[in-house]
Amino acid sequence: MTWILPVGASLNFEGLAEPVRIVRGLGSGSQGQVMEVEVAGERLALKWYFPACVTRDRHLEQRLGEAIRATAPSPSFLWPIALLRPTPDAQNQLRSRSGGFGYLMNLRPPAFAGAVDHVAGRLRLSLHSVLMACLRLADAFHALHSKGLCYKDISLGNLFLEPNTGQILICDNDNVDVDGRDLGSVLGTPGFMAPEILLGQARPGADSDLHALAVLIFRLLTRHDPFRGKLELAIRCLDEPARRRLYGEDPVFIFDPQDMRNRPDAEHHAAALLTWPIYPAELQELFVQSFGAGLKDPARRALTGQWQQALTRCLDQRQLCPRCGQENFQPSPTTATEAAPSCWHCSTPLPPPLFLQLPQGAVVAAAGTTVHLHHFDPLQPPQGDRPLADLVAHPSDPSILGLRNLSDQVWRARLCQGDELEIPPGRSVNVAAMAQVHTPEGPITPQRRCPPSQM
Amino acid sequence: MPSFPNVRLASRPLHFIYLCDCSGSMAAQGKMQALNQAIRQSLPGMARVARDNPEAQVLVRAVCFADRAQWHVPTPTPVEVLQWQDLQAGGVTAMGEALELLAEQLASPPMEERALPPVLVLISDGQPTDDFESSLNNLMGLHWAQKAVRLAIAMGHDADLEVLQQFIGTDPATGQAFASVPDGGISSEPSLGLGASGGRSPRRPLQASNATALAQYIQWASTAVVGAASMPASRIGGKSNGEGNIPLPELPPTLLDPVDDIGPVVW
Repeated sequence: MTWILPVGASLNFEGLAEPVRIVRGLGSGSQGQVMEVEVAGERLALKWYFPACVTRDRHLEQRLGEAIRATAPSPSFLWPIALLRPTPDAQNQLRSRSGGFGYLMNLRPPAFAGAVDHVAGRLRLSLHSVLMACLRLADAFHALHSKGLCYKDISLGNLFLEPNTGQILICDNDNVDVDGRDLGSVLGTPGFMAPEILLGQARPGADSDLHALAVLIFRLLTRHDPFRGKLELAIRCLDEPARRRLYGEDPVFIFDPQDMRNRPDAEHHAAALLTWPIYPAELQELFVQSFGAGLKDPARRALTGQWQQALTRCLDQRQLCPRCGQENFQPSPTTATEAAPSCWHCSTPLPPPLFLQLPQGAVVAAAGTTVHLHHFDPLQPPQGDRPLADLVAHPSDPSILGLRNLSDQVWRARLCQGDELEIPPGRSVNVAAMAQVHTPEGPITPQRRCPPSQM
Repeated sequence: MPSFPNVRLASRPLHFIYLCDCSGSMAAQGKMQALNQAIRQSLPGMARVARDNPEAQVLVRAVCFADRAQWHVPTPTPVEVLQWQDLQAGGVTAMGEALELLAEQLASPPMEERALPPVLVLISDGQPTDDFESSLNNLMGLHWAQKAVRLAIAMGHDADLEVLQQFIGTDPATGQAFASVPDGGISSEPSLGLGASGGRSPRRPLQASNATALAQYIQWASTAVVGAASMPASRIGGKSNGEGNIPLPELPPTLLDPVDDIGPVVW
């Protein structure tokens, strides 16, 4: 591999007091190359553009400058930090005759794997992690769109995730633009592009981001493509004209309730058939809406706030199967006549779960579930980070479930026997023993009758 | 431990087939060695692209042709397990026979009912010595040959560019079967990349005048083109790379040719 920025060199850039040392090449793509660099003792990544890319995308530098000034909408973006232009003496050391520029960003930590590794089945991760990743993706786009910006080209290729926590990093933020301004040439990635973009009827913006976001969330949740059903099987050679039909001219959602033409095939599309029923109707409905009416009418696509809400509710009702330990998300019956849902994995009927009642909603008491500010304050947006509390198994007896105080305030717990005690930050209270926990944000109350007092 | 269901995205085969000229002239000036090296060196990058494209199952084969044509890698082999055995030069240029062998394999069956567009890469330094045209006509009667991404690399200046252009098909820029091809190697022009000057286009024979250029084209075909034919990449508005059923990625930027390492010889 030939690197434009010579490895080992220390280069001066305009406006930087210290030289930047080029440590090693990290990768090369169609737009440019990414190097690991050292700036003032700190390791960062530097993306350097090919001259052809700079020539072709004449608003690139302007967009980057504006993105840098706007600062990252959320920590989930690997956002540009600074634009770098070589000084005349550094220019002579580049393996490129025309000037060019690049931008600094943080390095992607090695624990983050490509979202494509998940879709290819190469990562071991829980449904909880995948749902958390989707929620953070919705959070990130909510924050981006709230700043009046749009991304234009989200796909599996520029999303990375940490398998244990579901944390995400969105890379390649150089197409980010003010929504509606259209200073840029990228259209998106086929399969993720909204039909109106693919057919050349509109330019990418926040509306088409919503389509791409729905596709990406679907692909993460199902490891399948929302438009590859029987209509795909009818295609012998999956080339550009075929993709145009499948995703642009006549897209049919594989689970469209009315149009059954594109149902998944039991043999070829098994992933979709297995994973789709795992998710609750409230979440499925957003796909039906986005990939139904929303295909032709961008205003009907599920909004980032709707994704945040449906995904947090799905996580709130997560229940572990007592037999196989798998995660289940179907709501519990609200009436006695309704049948209990069965585990998607082992078909065991799921027992009625223990709910923790909160001022805004309820969560099922299951290890790994988190409680957030939005569970107390209706004005807070639903989100998955900065939990106030989480449910943890006891370190020596996993059958004992505790509610852990993740806030920096001391809580008071009233036990079933009537005793009261303090729960300092970082400590947990046995859920089976607690009648109610008082936090400064509001109460947390298990929804059950306390066993008759032993006293 | 709870885990995501053990399922993954269904994939389609992507057949990648090299057609390598092994005639006697390839023995001159280290051309045969350069080609063997270029293909061998390109395999890790190709495997990486295959890994990044779970929708495609990238399977590699190779035909070599000299006095006769024969399968050099007969079995469709997943790129991550492929070990490239050196080709040997010697003989004439039975290019037409190579196309016959290819045609047998692109008929359905043995081709799968459903696949991604095959990628066919013809590499030659000379002129066919057998009946190229009727073999090409026979090949192009096949569905999968028509759907295939057909690329050609001319090694040195003696390659028959007209024949290579016939293999690729009509030049979309000129509508002619053949257009003059500038050198694809070292360029001192700050190229705009793609055929902007009416010059290089992936739908014309790629002229490799030295080992570095050859390696770049092989790498480009085995990574960028495989990527484009399997999982589509970001799309840029405006001009596309001519018509075709797969939009071809930009050629490798010649500007990146290292100035201090231009390869051993100029052929």
